[in-house]
Amino acid sequence: MPEEAIRAENLTYRYADLTAVDHIDFEVAEGEILGFLGPNGAGKSTTIKMLTGQLRPKEGRATLLGLDVVREPNRVQAQIGVSFEDTNLYEQMSAEANLKLFARLFGVRDFEPQPLLERVGLSGRGRDRVEGYSKGMKQRLMVARALVNRPRILFLDEPTEGLDPASAAAIRGIIDEERQRGATVFLTTHDMHEADLLSDRVAFLDAGSIVALDTPHALKQAYGKRLLRAETVASNGDLESREIVLDLPETAEALQALFRDEQVVTLHSEEATLEDIFIRITGRGLA
Amino acid sequence: MNWGVIGTLVAKDISLYFKNRFFALITVLALVGYTVMFFVMPASVNETVEIGIYAPNLPVGILDRLAGDGVNFVAAPSREALEATILGGDQPVGLVLEAGTVARLVAGQQGRIEVLFATALPEDFRDLYTTVLGELGFLLSGRPLAVEIDEQVLGPDLAGQQIPPRQRLLPMLAVFILMMETMGLASLISTEVEEGTLQALLVTPMSMRELFVGKGLTGVTLAFVQVVLLMAVTGGLARQPLLVLVALLLGAMLVTGVGFLMASVGKDLLSVMSWGVLALLVLIIPSIGILLPGVVSGWVRAIPSHYLVDTVHRVANFGAGWGDVGVNLLALLAFSAAFLWLGGAVLRRRFA
Repeated sequence: MPEEAIRAENLTYRYADLTAVDHIDFEVAEGEILGFLGPNGAGKSTTIKMLTGQLRPKEGRATLLGLDVVREPNRVQAQIGVSFEDTNLYEQMSAEANLKLFARLFGVRDFEPQPLLERVGLSGRGRDRVEGYSKGMKQRLMVARALVNRPRILFLDEPTEGLDPASAAAIRGIIDEERQRGATVFLTTHDMHEADLLSDRVAFLDAGSIVALDTPHALKQAYGKRLLRAETVASNGDLESREIVLDLPETAEALQALFRDEQVVTLHSEEATLEDIFIRITGRGLA
Repeated sequence: MNWGVIGTLVAKDISLYFKNRFFALITVLALVGYTVMFFVMPASVNETVEIGIYAPNLPVGILDRLAGDGVNFVAAPSREALEATILGGDQPVGLVLEAGTVARLVAGQQGRIEVLFATALPEDFRDLYTTVLGELGFLLSGRPLAVEIDEQVLGPDLAGQQIPPRQRLLPMLAVFILMMETMGLASLISTEVEEGTLQALLVTPMSMRELFVGKGLTGVTLAFVQVVLLMAVTGGLARQPLLVLVALLLGAMLVTGVGFLMASVGKDLLSVMSWGVLALLVLIIPSIGILLPGVVSGWVRAIPSHYLVDTVHRVANFGAGWGDVGVNLLALLAFSAAFLWLGGAVLRRRFA
């Protein structure tokens, strides 16, 4: 049984009259990837700030690796790596200098930036000033910076937002490597497909509350519907599309009728996406 | 307290400061410019008052007899020439003595002296010259005033050793350069908040106290090194160097506290500069009182920089010792501690 890496109990934060995070409870096991999903303003970043010691909860508590974040922030922060939603690198310094600076702040001895830069695909540009980097390169460097201390828990806040497909794929690859290393990953993202690919479990956050928390498969089982989408030739010769929902008593008869009465051109099975499920649960999309 | 982490922060901030071309440039320009400004100011004080005079048929040697005690008469060949020298600013005052005026005065008769003043001469000085000329008339007529005047100087007699303008300017230049570096520090901190790099620092194992000590040390180091360079080049460390260095160090701490306050309200370089100029205008006032004695009154003691500039002025220009400026140093220490604490507290709220 893996140990608990993150525990949030009754965690709450308010900005004046606005309750950004509203009494949430969850746990993340060591080595698990938790996708934390929700629209803008749902409270994802505020939750990360409380978990990483940047904000003191108004109510409740958070423990990381058994350490209380408020009481022992520095011991907690020594074990974590954080990649922020907005780029916040020292742009007048080189990538190597950025990484070396944070390695020294984490007390990492004999740090060599080159292997880390190679992992994120920046090995040839390590001595260039960051201000000349593209957004994708900066985001990869942010992830590299979060890894300088080989963290046991990695917080990634929208790590692939707005990136080109190659950069996004590179970052997904790094997340996968970290999972294999045994790190726990707390991932916030808008990208439901990415969350589905990477996460062991996902939590849906809406208006500061967790409205669902389970494995993607279980959520699809519980909230989604499996169906077959068929393209057939209509009487006028045009193609038309129709859906047959699976798991219903009349499904077998509908399938028989399809093949008996129609000229089937294509046939695909489909299942609900996490986005469909989020909309079903919350009544609104992620945008 | 992890001094390794603090050293890393200080090295990083100083490196970033000089990577910012604007601050690197104004640091060099300020240091060079203020040094040049110091050296182009007069190095000595001309204590002789020059008075132009047109007096046809004046007895030989009379001007030499009248001159002395800091007054020098410069004879003009004509009334027009005298007026030209006054209008040209060569002399502030000119006297026109008609032919025979001196003889009439010596004979105890009424004489007439025309006094020509430059437009810029203050009214009080005009009255003073008129009074002196009246007394001169009594002397020439052999009827001196029946008053015996006994002159006494309280404190060191500075006659003949007045502080030259450049030395009076020195405390003001020190405040200027301290504030220049402070604006740089404030901008550096404000940029860290705005660009989010501070957020990245705050999720490392470094404590908030270490962060503030690092920022404070950066500010004090930048300000102190610059002002010490200026003082060394201009000879400001020639007298009681240790005492001047202590005063400058406390001054650097004071302006670092002011820099924290500026960083807590400034959102970008422009707003930091605006607040910086406002702070500079206040902090510069005591040094104006040194440059132009008499233009400020006792309330200047409420401005913290008074205790810095007064100490630097008295030590560097008059050779005052620890005992003479001890109270100043204590007041400066108290103000520095208060501003560092207040600036740190306000800035911490912004960090949160």
